[in-house]
Amino acid sequence: MPLSTQSQADEGQYTLVASLDNARNLSNILKAITFKDHAIFSATPNGLKVTVEDNKTLQANAFIQAEIFQEFTIREDSVGFQVNLTVLLDCLTIFGGSTVPGVTTSLRMCYMGYGYPLTLFLEEGGVVTVCKINTQEPEEPIDFDFCSTNVTNKVILQSESLKEAFSELDMTSEVLQITMSPSQPYFRLSTFGNSGNAHYDYPKDSDMVELFQCTKTQTSRYKMSLLKPSTKALALSCKVSVRTDSRGFLSLQYLVRNDDGQICFVEYYCCPDEEVQEE
Amino acid sequence: MKFRAKIIDIGCLNHLTRVVTTISKLTKTCVLRLTADNLFFVLSGKVANGGVSMWCELSQVNFFDEYQMEGVSSEANEICLEVTAENLSRALKTVQNSKVVKVKLTKKHCPCLTVAAELPTLSSVSRVVTHDVPVDVIPRRLWHEFKEPSMPDFDVSIYLPPLKTMKNVVDRMKNLSNFLVIEANLNGEMNLKIETDLVSVTTHFRDLGNPPWGKDPGSQDGGRSQGRDPDSMAHARVDIRKLQQFLTGQQVNPSKAMCNIVHKRIVHLILLHEDASLQYFIPAVA
Amino acid sequence: MDCVVTGGNVKVLAKAIHSLSRIGDELYLEPQEDGLALRSVNSSRSAYACFLFAPLFFSRYSTPSGHAFRCKMAIKSVQAVFRSLASLEKTVEKCHIELDGQKNRLTFALHCKYGLLKTHNLSFQDSESLQAVFDKDSCANTLRVQPRVLVDTVVHFPLSLEEVTVSLSDERVWFRNHVEDEAGNSQSKAMLTEMCLASDEFDHFAVQAQNSITFCLKELRGLLVFAESTGLPISMYFDEPGSPVVLSVTDSVLEVNFVLATLSDDPSLRKNNTKRNKAYQGKKQNQAASPPPPDDFLNDDMDSYLIAMDTSIAPGTSAAGPPSPPSANHTYSHQPAVACHRTRPHSEDEEEEEEQETDDTERPPNKKFRSLFFGSVFATASQMTNQTVTSQEVLASDSEDDTQTESP
Repeated sequence: MPLSTQSQADEGQYTLVASLDNARNLSNILKAITFKDHAIFSATPNGLKVTVEDNKTLQANAFIQAEIFQEFTIREDSVGFQVNLTVLLDCLTIFGGSTVPGVTTSLRMCYMGYGYPLTLFLEEGGVVTVCKINTQEPEEPIDFDFCSTNVTNKVILQSESLKEAFSELDMTSEVLQITMSPSQPYFRLSTFGNSGNAHYDYPKDSDMVELFQCTKTQTSRYKMSLLKPSTKALALSCKVSVRTDSRGFLSLQYLVRNDDGQICFVEYYCCPDEEVQEE
Repeated sequence: MKFRAKIIDIGCLNHLTRVVTTISKLTKTCVLRLTADNLFFVLSGKVANGGVSMWCELSQVNFFDEYQMEGVSSEANEICLEVTAENLSRALKTVQNSKVVKVKLTKKHCPCLTVAAELPTLSSVSRVVTHDVPVDVIPRRLWHEFKEPSMPDFDVSIYLPPLKTMKNVVDRMKNLSNFLVIEANLNGEMNLKIETDLVSVTTHFRDLGNPPWGKDPGSQDGGRSQGRDPDSMAHARVDIRKLQQFLTGQQVNPSKAMCNIVHKRIVHLILLHEDASLQYFIPAVA
Repeated sequence: MDCVVTGGNVKVLAKAIHSLSRIGDELYLEPQEDGLALRSVNSSRSAYACFLFAPLFFSRYSTPSGHAFRCKMAIKSVQAVFRSLASLEKTVEKCHIELDGQKNRLTFALHCKYGLLKTHNLSFQDSESLQAVFDKDSCANTLRVQPRVLVDTVVHFPLSLEEVTVSLSDERVWFRNHVEDEAGNSQSKAMLTEMCLASDEFDHFAVQAQNSITFCLKELRGLLVFAESTGLPISMYFDEPGSPVVLSVTDSVLEVNFVLATLSDDPSLRKNNTKRNKAYQGKKQNQAASPPPPDDFLNDDMDSYLIAMDTSIAPGTSAAGPPSPPSANHTYSHQPAVACHRTRPHSEDEEEEEEQETDDTERPPNKKFRSLFFGSVFATASQMTNQTVTSQEVLASDSEDDTQTESP
């Protein structure tokens, strides 16, 4: 295979080598966090974490554990770099990202270290594509300091039920208001648009609600423009955990099952809208 | 000047529609030349269309159940029309389930190619739809502009990989760059390359095979490809949109697809189907 | 008002609203004794549509008797309530519509699967009655046809086509695209499409006046979407050019009327029309000889022709030699696209006296005339060429500020 012959010569020089039989297992999960071009990659022996941020108010992380890869070799405790995510996605799907069963693009991703490009070897049906994507020094991701001990409310839902709500959201509303409460309305999404307001209420005993742990009534507003990108993650996921902490910060954790049935996670953190005082 | 043709076979209608739709994806207007045996859709390379030219040849017996034409005169037995390809494509698309379709040259409010179709209905009387596609009749003194382009004296001729694969690759590359380098050698290898500040991408195709042009006209003895080092690449840098347009638009499912490259000059793409052939010329840019 | 819609009727209601959105930007809602009326009119007043849902359409329907209440709101906001048309049937079990006049709030509550409750509180404006006056029964021509036949007909016309011309003979109906004869050159480049249907494709075919009318295709497509989803036949009522055409869909719990202005015939062209009618009649007597193109399928030789080729005109201009006189058919499409006829204004339950209008057959459209009647309402719609006048009150209420009312 050209794939192996081309990379073997340099094998020893790479600080990071990661291989996938199916490149979709990486490209799909990266699509769930594509709302800005710059993505921070940080690899440890546990796997790969990719972070995308918007203006210190929104952060998305995708986690791909080392076990997901057919090969995951890292020669340092941690390796970090920054690349253009849109470019990376175009490269990963160079052969079209086919969903036809049996047709997969295999991937070998190599990084030699600071100053070097991220090199991808992709192969499908005997055709090989080599991509060299320029890298930058990674920025330090923002710490949202979202601690599970400070979580006041938590609801786990089947993604299916939220997908409909998110696809119908009134985009003329500047904010999405989330209410979680031990009493009615339990879990409510509200918008306030040009032509009126809308409330979507989920009863806590709905078949769509897997876990309901609300300790106090909390209503927070989040900028619609910030939450909109998370719809991509929602679309890919099968379950979503919605949590808020005492500061009103929102954490959305998505459980994503890949083509091979393995589980990965995508996580969004979002600051509450400042203009609204906490209730 | 008379032209009248009839299609009964739904497969032929479908095929003709695909060919015309392919043309409509490549150019807004084109010249339709009608001869006793063939139909030609022609776009001659002008600066206005980025220097791209096209030549599509259909053998009338393979498409029409009846075909009658009388040219301008007995010694110039041809009709040459300028037509908006999209109109013709739309006219044919809406009559796909017809019992019979006729295509005629008519005099309506202006000269028209009239597509008339008899549609199936429960009624005892036929449901008839007609589309009058306006055409401009091209005078004989301008015909020379729409002659078959001669086969370029290429450096390398190579069979193309599956067009679907090539399309996927070119689609992504177009997201990344405005220009693409296509290179190939006589060893059956072809590469598509882009390079920008952010990324460089090269897709390698191999074992594609090189067409045996032999004594075909165009690759006469002493042609540029003769005696060439099989591993040496000939390349051309092209506007990626032109190539994408060709790959996206084509709906003819060719039995053979090939590419001739004149080093740094031109990319000549050929799609061969048993009933039709399409040639497309993309000029190289510096 | 307080009403409940259940099961498949939720989708019917949603389809109605989507269909109305093809007409205008605002939805006029009026709970009446005889049912819930949803109406819309386009900005140039050339198209009006009304859906009347009888009380039996609802599983609960109650209106405060005695005092009439009407309101209007942006149709987009109501469409948003029923955004996922495809999944509506599967997800929505019940739709509860409640109008609270005190709070100026119209509430749509959708009770969905898994206990999900979607509540949309829409703000609205008070409005006067919106009524177009038409008398279907007095129309000379009445056709009734299954929606599928019309769907299969309009599919031949491009989506960009604005107007379609419908011509009648005793036995056939022709649909043609209407091309404005503004600049002679651009006109010659337009593709002309014509579709001919025999009378026996219609459930009902009563023609007293063999004439042609031209009206907007967009609204017809809008009604077709609704009619096709409900499988109800469409009736078409019309008289001479310039008088509105009425398209109706009815069943026991539902009455839908679309009233569309038609292009008026220029008097100078009426002769041609008559001529053409004669041609049609002639054809009836002699089926084999068929002068208008609809039948040219059957005889090819007549329209094959010779073009003198010695004139060396460059391509781009027409190289076809001197244009021959256009056929009667296409003369029609040369007629000016000027709306000169209006439906009579009507005021329902209102004292305001309506102005009587005279037919105005001048061209170009008499803008002075229009601004006199419609004032600011037409400030943004001055290019519109045809109109159906609805009642004055509507116009008055329309000139109010936009509906950017605050949500509670």
